[in-house]
Amino acid sequence: MSAVNIWERMLNIDRRWIFLGIGIVSIVPFFINFGMPVRTTIEVESIYDYVDELGSENAIFISFDFAPGTQAENMPMAVAVMRHAFYNDVPVFMTANWPLHHGMMLAAMEYVFNPTTEGFYQDIDFDDWRELREAGVTAKGDLVDAWESQGNQLPDGAMGWVFEGRDYAALGYAPVFNLVILGMTISIETQYPIDAHENALGEMPMLQEHKSLREVDLTLTCSGSAACEWWITYAREKIGMPVAFGVTAVSATDYFPYLQTGQVIGQMGGLRGAAEYEVLLAENGITSSTDKAFTGMDVQSVAHILIILLIIMGNIAFFAGGFHKKALLKEGR
Amino acid sequence: MKRTVPLMIVMVGGILMILQYFIPHQISQTVLAYYTDWAPIILAFALVLGVGSLTRIHSHKIRRKAKNWQYSYAVLIPLFGMPILAHIWPASLSGGMDSPSIFHFLFMHVQVPIQATMFSLLAFYIASAAFRAFRAKSALATLLLLAAVVVMLGQVPIGELFGRWLPETGLWILRYPNLAAKRAIMLGVGFGMLATNLKIIFGVERNWLGGAGK
Repeated sequence: MSAVNIWERMLNIDRRWIFLGIGIVSIVPFFINFGMPVRTTIEVESIYDYVDELGSENAIFISFDFAPGTQAENMPMAVAVMRHAFYNDVPVFMTANWPLHHGMMLAAMEYVFNPTTEGFYQDIDFDDWRELREAGVTAKGDLVDAWESQGNQLPDGAMGWVFEGRDYAALGYAPVFNLVILGMTISIETQYPIDAHENALGEMPMLQEHKSLREVDLTLTCSGSAACEWWITYAREKIGMPVAFGVTAVSATDYFPYLQTGQVIGQMGGLRGAAEYEVLLAENGITSSTDKAFTGMDVQSVAHILIILLIIMGNIAFFAGGFHKKALLKEGR
Repeated sequence: MKRTVPLMIVMVGGILMILQYFIPHQISQTVLAYYTDWAPIILAFALVLGVGSLTRIHSHKIRRKAKNWQYSYAVLIPLFGMPILAHIWPASLSGGMDSPSIFHFLFMHVQVPIQATMFSLLAFYIASAAFRAFRAKSALATLLLLAAVVVMLGQVPIGELFGRWLPETGLWILRYPNLAAKRAIMLGVGFGMLATNLKIIFGVERNWLGGAGK
């Protein structure tokens, strides 16, 4: 076999071997935890610092603008910021710009409120604390005291209570979402008379304190598409609302101009961005450990190395075999 | 008439909304509030039109036994099944009406895995494509290749093993050369959109009318 044939065979390697390699490096790191350190960047730190400054008198929006296809990247971002807000008693409005994204919002809530999740939050349905609400007990500290004095105990492992209507409102999907954002700059309630659980928004204490986007302090748009730009166009530029991006790695490069102009306070780019936020939460004692994004970074590390090795191998074979001099290459190369 | 009336509506509506954006007066806000209420209602009719059209096309394919007609069932059954399960018959898996519903089950265990699988396949195809197509054939291609390798390694923790310079160089590429290129593209697209929108508002561009009135 001539040398050229070796290089030719290498270039024509059956793609199934490459698929197998990617399959292996995607699965193995889940079982062998490397735990490589993730260094945080200014883009993510600025979101963390901003949320950390907020308190119970403020409110934020988390917009679930992603479908199941990008949930591996976007979901940990939304979960991390949701946990951060709950830890600081910051009320969270949750929206979705597409029917599928509404399901992602529900899945995020299910994860954060699930007792099997480490560091979960104990959710109290809107109807369950009606009596206290009607008695005028809506301040978070008083509410927790009153709730616990009724004999309710925080379950083991729970990070705290979250009261629907006081700590969060699952607004969900509403059609023509860019117009919904525009409408919410005037009134949130007119766009969402009821939430995803059919609770009247007008009865919610958090809505009484934050009637429109002008009274909300931040929107984090976790987006798998260009939908995040709607928040810039219709909220940031119209009423000056602070916006933060949580976008996929592939689209993160698109939004650096918004960061430089200050139109976006920060950006979590891909799994790396989510992992950075998880690291910041764990380092500051807001969560006891990091979560899925941090674990996923091991997989991404090994997968990136494999892809780079494949590129190097491909180039070696291409040049060593002299194919750069040939006009025609075999089909499929 | 078929062309003049839609053109007038677009012109008046377009100019009104442009002016509205720059006038922070109460009347201007009222116009905006009306518009945000009206637009979803008008668009709801488009949804009816879309569902009707999709149903007609696929029913026609099934009736004629056109090529791959079986797949039309895969469109029509979920198209009507999911709204029925969500709103008309939100039954649970246990047979009652408590959660989780069959709709929720289908969403979480059919829709989510299908979409996640489709997106995950990209990793496999990107690896294969990178091996076969990413060649340092010219100076520009080499520059692109090097930038890609630095950014890829800089984005993952393992890149730190090569030294701090690698992630920092990756971030520098993203923050400066990438930003400059993206801004240029965005400005170009923005001006293009502005010109096209003005052409539509003032009736210069009329392709959106289709063949109406001809």
